[in-house]
Amino acid sequence: MAATPYDVIVVGSGAGGGMSAYELSRRGLKVLMLEAGRDYDPLTETPMFETPDKAPLRDSPTPDKPFGYFDATIDGGWEVPGEPYTVAEGSQPFKWWRPRMLGGRTNHWGRISLRFGPYDFKPYSRDGHGIDWPIDYAELAPWYDKVERLIGVTGGPPMGMENIPDAPPGCQQPAPPPRAYEVLVSRAWASMGIRTRPIHAAILTKPINDRAACVYATSCLRGCSLKANFQSTTVLIPPATETGNLTTVTNAMVYRVDLGRDGKAKGVSFIDKRTGEHRSVTGRSVVLTAGACESARILLNSKSPLFPDGIGNENGLVGKYLMDSVGTKFAAHIPALEGLPPTNDDGMSIMHEYVPWWGHSLQAANKLDFPRGYHVEMLGGRLMPSMMLAGLTDPGGDARGPALRKAMRERYGSLIFMSSRGEMIPNDDSYCDLDPTVKDKWGIPVLRFHWKWGETETRQAEHAMKTFVELVDRLGGKPIGPVETDGAKAIQPGGSIIHEVGTLRMGKKSIQSVVNEHGQLWAVKNLFVTDGAVMPSSPDKNPTLSILALSWRNSAHLADLARKGEL
Amino acid sequence: MSGAMLQVDRRTAIRWAAALAAALGSGAHAVAAPVEPIKGYGTDPKLIDAKAPWPRILTAAQLRTVAAMCDHVLPAEGDAPAASAIGIHELIDEWVSAPYPVQQADRTLILEGLDLLGPGFATAGLSGREQALAALAAKGKAGFYARMRALTIGAYYTTEAGFKDIGYIGNQALDAFPPMSAEVKAHIDRASAKLGLPVPS
Repeated sequence: MAATPYDVIVVGSGAGGGMSAYELSRRGLKVLMLEAGRDYDPLTETPMFETPDKAPLRDSPTPDKPFGYFDATIDGGWEVPGEPYTVAEGSQPFKWWRPRMLGGRTNHWGRISLRFGPYDFKPYSRDGHGIDWPIDYAELAPWYDKVERLIGVTGGPPMGMENIPDAPPGCQQPAPPPRAYEVLVSRAWASMGIRTRPIHAAILTKPINDRAACVYATSCLRGCSLKANFQSTTVLIPPATETGNLTTVTNAMVYRVDLGRDGKAKGVSFIDKRTGEHRSVTGRSVVLTAGACESARILLNSKSPLFPDGIGNENGLVGKYLMDSVGTKFAAHIPALEGLPPTNDDGMSIMHEYVPWWGHSLQAANKLDFPRGYHVEMLGGRLMPSMMLAGLTDPGGDARGPALRKAMRERYGSLIFMSSRGEMIPNDDSYCDLDPTVKDKWGIPVLRFHWKWGETETRQAEHAMKTFVELVDRLGGKPIGPVETDGAKAIQPGGSIIHEVGTLRMGKKSIQSVVNEHGQLWAVKNLFVTDGAVMPSSPDKNPTLSILALSWRNSAHLADLARKGEL
Repeated sequence: MSGAMLQVDRRTAIRWAAALAAALGSGAHAVAAPVEPIKGYGTDPKLIDAKAPWPRILTAAQLRTVAAMCDHVLPAEGDAPAASAIGIHELIDEWVSAPYPVQQADRTLILEGLDLLGPGFATAGLSGREQALAALAAKGKAGFYARMRALTIGAYYTTEAGFKDIGYIGNQALDAFPPMSAEVKAHIDRASAKLGLPVPS
């Protein structure tokens, strides 16, 4: 590390961290990026084209690899040995996903890249729930444009759908055509008056520089050695490193922001995981982007006489208004999909068509009992077989030999899997704080989660399940397994959708927020946040693209201030 | 990186220790010593040229019975190989030997079932096998065969031979993702019409 202080210390190397490192190093600032996990190279480590029989247990999920052996996650999961978290007594369940690798979740995420829409920035003004963002869509739109052009996002033609912004021409890449089963399912949605449209995915259909276009095979969840999808490790960190201004240090677990006597950030303290030593490093400014909850944890653990409850916590807002997506899932057998000639349905891993929220006019006419909305994702067709095949394709069957082979051939490819991903209204009962007694293996206090779904969320989940029932009926199909229409039971547990946002929300006024519209802490002006923690709401669109856009905007502002000597 | 540890009950631990002692020579070592826990593959295993690190637990006789069960579910047919010809019984050994909760539950079920079936199953003909399985079901142990069948199906269809048999034609590099072929479109259009779904012109 440098002898003189770095201009910026960036904590985390995922979406926010990678983007911060990219912008700041290209602006000529000397950046030190600290990553808790190990170095990771998708080019040499991704199991491209490996079939399940090349993995232990046929790539089945295990506690060591909860999303399967070939999933890109390293040293992570719902439990990280030596790094516990707790859930408060009386709380609803909450699970916290953490990877420990360079690039973080951007290596194993689903690549769904949906812009937030104009409504999403002013939710309180529209329906009186939650709080408005201090910016609107128009201010973030140019940053979405820049991000999409940089990382490559597929689009499809403009469709002018309510609260679903279309990108300007030249921003997005062509969308691949729908799979056969998606065509049929889209028609069923259409029969309900609901339009589907191409997904926006951070997956290339046209090469960019030395990044190849997708070859429509290996699952994106494994990462990509062709650089055909977006990972911080292949798209942001290499060009940042090429500037000569970025130093990346891995196996460095930051636990505290250190303040100078002037009350400004002077650096961070971290655990060198190789030796277990506590070390500190200085910088002229600090960017926290360790993932929503972890960034909050770092601030809560940064106690001093100036900030006895943690930096930025003067109004008790650090850790507050934690949100995750409202999720439901549904599987069905569609006999109409049997008898198709074999099709290669791998595509670009995720669905090519999805269903954006259609309920705005219903809500305007008071026809729904919940505000906001959800989008629908789907999977189906001839998916790469797994150890689950019998339970899915032939539940309770007992055929053997030729009869079994025939039954499998006939039914394979006729299942669809639907899931909703919706907006959660921030509430006072969903937040994280420090556990009063439990510490991690390095002696640092851990997070304690408090979670509660509101009725706004459980009613939304109920609506999704009932909508799926109707959809499958129109497809002449049957649900697999019992259908849960009690929203409180159908809703996936908090944290399990792995879209945590909030805990350090942005706002117009310091009394209501932790950071300003640029992710700059009101309390410490050379301390910024560029991950999902800054979001005051959690719209029905996956957060990563917006984290990238906000991180770029926030980092650019930091660089402007540094240039003017105002930090 | 250490992986999930096997939760071993005392009876199992003693059984392993006895097996270990027997393998080392009778009476040469104390039997009551605790056995080292079996580790999983950990949270950072090598993804390319992967290997399951845990020892296999099935005896030769048990493996023969498992092979016979797998082939009972999926015997050879035409070009399609029998399950044992492509190592499905080996996967089941790997499965029940694994130290994770799902696999451990299957291990208990399957070892008990193999015990109940006895060594004769491996060499029985079709009607002998069917009788043996019916006898198990009559004892309320039908879950054993149901689970073995499900594992056999999963293990089989996750191989190249299985892909060929079931009609999975993915895992190929494509220059572009093609729209539906005329034949596929005709099927989807017919199905749509039958279901009364709108077909865009």
